[in-house]
Amino acid sequence: MRTSLQKALALILSGDRELKNILWVTARMSLSSSLIALLIGVPLGLWLGSARFRGRQALVVVNRTLMGMPPVVCGLLLYMLFSGVGPFGKWKLLFTVDIMVLAQVLLITPLVVGNLETFVSGVAQPVRETARGLGLGAGKTFLLLANECVYPIFSTYLLAFARAIAEVGAVSMVGGAIAWKTNVMTTAIMQYTNRGDFSLGVALGMILMAVSLLVNIAVSLLQRRLSR
Amino acid sequence: MKTNACAKTFGGRTVLQAPALELAPGRICAVVGANGSGKSTFARLLAGVLPPDGGGRALPPSVKVGYMPQKSYAFRMTTRANILLSGGGPERAEALMEALQIGHLARQRATGLSGGETAKMALARVLSRPCELLILDEPTASMDMESAILSEGLIQSYCRETGCAVLLITHDLQQARRMAGDALFFFRGQLWEQGPAARVLFSPERPETRRFLEFYGGG
Repeated sequence: MRTSLQKALALILSGDRELKNILWVTARMSLSSSLIALLIGVPLGLWLGSARFRGRQALVVVNRTLMGMPPVVCGLLLYMLFSGVGPFGKWKLLFTVDIMVLAQVLLITPLVVGNLETFVSGVAQPVRETARGLGLGAGKTFLLLANECVYPIFSTYLLAFARAIAEVGAVSMVGGAIAWKTNVMTTAIMQYTNRGDFSLGVALGMILMAVSLLVNIAVSLLQRRLSR
Repeated sequence: MKTNACAKTFGGRTVLQAPALELAPGRICAVVGANGSGKSTFARLLAGVLPPDGGGRALPPSVKVGYMPQKSYAFRMTTRANILLSGGGPERAEALMEALQIGHLARQRATGLSGGETAKMALARVLSRPCELLILDEPTASMDMESAILSEGLIQSYCRETGCAVLLITHDLQQARRMAGDALFFFRGQLWEQGPAARVLFSPERPETRRFLEFYGGG
């Protein structure tokens, strides 16, 4: 264990090229997917939490079910759709970072929607009633509601990013964990551990935790600043 | 100003059945009654935040309504920005903040205000905009006596100066007697008694109203 840790530290300090490539692919995939999920999920969550229409509860239940979708099921679904014989096979997306981002977006968006919906449904009524009492229109009311959600949006982003960076099932199925191309930290840790190369696995694990810590600190600072 | 007859049912229980009413401009009408008598539901139907049973509206859409809900809500912005939301302009906002003694809180985030301060901010916010019908649902319930008296004065001036009709939902019978020209008494979701405040709040006709006044205000 101690030797593995020493080797891992040496690997990180040496600026190993393969390690740098894994980090780059991971950052590209996690940041893109979490941001896209946020862009889609925030308006959907605001709408689902504040709108009153027949079938709203059914949509909430569907979203909550999707929140628990196993990543391997998502990976399998995309694999079938984008493989050579699948309906989208001609796009040749399988085993690329793009399809890994797509898989992550499918997994993360319901989490963003669900988190926002839960928060918004608690504040929508007082916001709507107060805005109505001041004679404000629907557009202004929606903006006020969005403004009330700044803090939970940051928390939700952290959740989305954490899910994206730590996910392994879907990305390994659709990305294939190809070295120098689609290998991300989680899939690489599995590969190196299976090969008995614990030092690179430990190094990646340490970096994964450090990146997660840095992102959490950065977002929390921004959240604090904007919430003042 | 005429309101339409309206009713509201929640989970099969009719919580309100109100007939059509006429509200006089430039006068304050107190709405009194025990908990669950339908006062707030009536206010919410008139304010348009709750649809009446069978659709339609409790008031014609052309009527400009101002409404302060029972639970004052502070938006995540400064006290001043909250008051400016109603579009009454900065001068009116400053004057109301000074009158309600919350001028020193103008730049403070409104979500950090106390319950009483939030109620004062919400009152300033709704009073900064002219309207034809002002509905206030227990506006001073969380205020201390001095603030409540200050607020009462401001509401009366607003009513006098703008000529709007004010519907004041209150549990404080003394406040209703101090402020109102007319009064409505709700009992188990029905409008039980209505008329000049001098009669309804001092010498009502119906035994239920008398019992309520004896219990709440030593009438």
